[in-house]
Amino acid sequence: MDRWEKVCTIIMAGGRGERLFPLTRDKAKPAITFGGIYRIIDFTLSNCLNSGIRRIYVLTQYGSLSLDLHLRLHWNLMRPEFGEYLYSVPPQQITTNRWYRGTADSIYQNLFLLEQERPEHVLILSGDHVYKMDYGDLLDFHLAKNADLTVATVIVPREEGRAFGILHTAADGEVVEFLEKPKDPPPMPGHPDLALASMGVYVFKAPVLVQEVIQDAKNPASKHDFGMNIIPQMVGRKRVFAFPFGDPATGTPRYWRDIGQLDAYFAAHQDLLGENPVFDLFSGDWPIRGALSLLPPAKFFGREGQVTVTDSLISAGCVLQEARVVRSVLSPGVRVARGAQVEEAVLWDGVRVGVEARIRRAVIEEGVHIPPRFTIGYNPEADARHFTVTPGGVVVVPSNVVLEAP
Amino acid sequence: MKTILVVDDDTNVRQMMVDELTEEGYRVLSTGNAQDALKIVESDPSLDLVVLDIRMPGMDGLEALPRILGMKEHLKVILHTAYSIYKESFMSWAADAYIVKSADLTELKEKIRELLGT
Repeated sequence: MDRWEKVCTIIMAGGRGERLFPLTRDKAKPAITFGGIYRIIDFTLSNCLNSGIRRIYVLTQYGSLSLDLHLRLHWNLMRPEFGEYLYSVPPQQITTNRWYRGTADSIYQNLFLLEQERPEHVLILSGDHVYKMDYGDLLDFHLAKNADLTVATVIVPREEGRAFGILHTAADGEVVEFLEKPKDPPPMPGHPDLALASMGVYVFKAPVLVQEVIQDAKNPASKHDFGMNIIPQMVGRKRVFAFPFGDPATGTPRYWRDIGQLDAYFAAHQDLLGENPVFDLFSGDWPIRGALSLLPPAKFFGREGQVTVTDSLISAGCVLQEARVVRSVLSPGVRVARGAQVEEAVLWDGVRVGVEARIRRAVIEEGVHIPPRFTIGYNPEADARHFTVTPGGVVVVPSNVVLEAP
Repeated sequence: MKTILVVDDDTNVRQMMVDELTEEGYRVLSTGNAQDALKIVESDPSLDLVVLDIRMPGMDGLEALPRILGMKEHLKVILHTAYSIYKESFMSWAADAYIVKSADLTELKEKIRELLGT
């Protein structure tokens, strides 16, 4: 029997993503362009597909139009006649006229979905993480432990554990304590220098999940959040286990990033680059499905040796003319004119970089026209007057700006 | 004085509950359908507890329950039905109690006392 037969999969995709402003000013965080041809949610959806999951609810809320369009245009591949589906679910506002108060409330407000499905287990995923994970391993672990809840965890150096929700576990993986941003993170069993941080990926026994979110909904002190409320309240009372996402023998962590802030967004792009990237889109064994495109191949032209592209990802439909592009990610349809320089930049669809313009350490949203000889990333004061500049010094240029030539 | 709303489409059962709960010292409101119950929940801030039948014409009790809690999530609700099968329904778990109907209202009264601390 299909191991996913009795499992309902729910992807949380309603977060406002305030720390990613301005990228999220008109769309949900999972709908943000990433890695040239992807939206962030494509990684979680591809993980589902590669894990054999064919029935998925995506809970949307804030800025759902862009996400909805992406799902319809590029993920319309489930076959209802085989019982497959990918449904986008905005707040129904049938039983209450409020929006989701938190991740746990989004499940509470959609209990009718679980009632229809009557699954034995519920896999809860987040739409804003970049990673490759076989959820089958997580489910097998959950079943083998007969857990009420299994929390997937990323293995982090113990020092860095101060920034995360840390799971203190016994040798068999049972969680004895959940600590939010602890000063002295408890180590992973057998690895004194490592700690287990919650990834925001969970498998629940369905009846336990229902009981917990109902109880939580009635608690006026709760923020109705899985990480802050549900998990800590279950530890010690229910069978809660931590699944280490990595090699349990060596403690070698696997790649996982929560794209929570602009600098993390920028840094995750750098992870895609180079001959042997930290996070490899070319590995082939775990395909990531992105936007399908009918654009022609990328075109580089001009005098020989005058177009230089190094350590970069260049999507279809890009046109580069005697330009220099280094450690950058170009979405489809970007044009870089003669003499322009693009360094450590993330350019979204249809950006045009004018003659001899220079861009460094920047994220530029779709369709922005950079005028000839304009510079971004070379004058911090001028950049800060016009654009968002991150603590890490990355300039973010939103799609609605009109730039004037110097 | 605590206020209880009795929702049941069976006139005789409803009247019996109103009489007995009034004797117990509660202020008792009643209605025979869920739509009216929602209006009362919305408009009467003095309400402390709802005794809710499940099988009713129009909107049933399991549809009404999340709507009641959507308006007043701390309102106590007892599902009161002739059938035990709805105990399986996830939707019924949001109620504070589930009591199978009986001619003797002792169990219901005890649960009300427990939930209201009376």
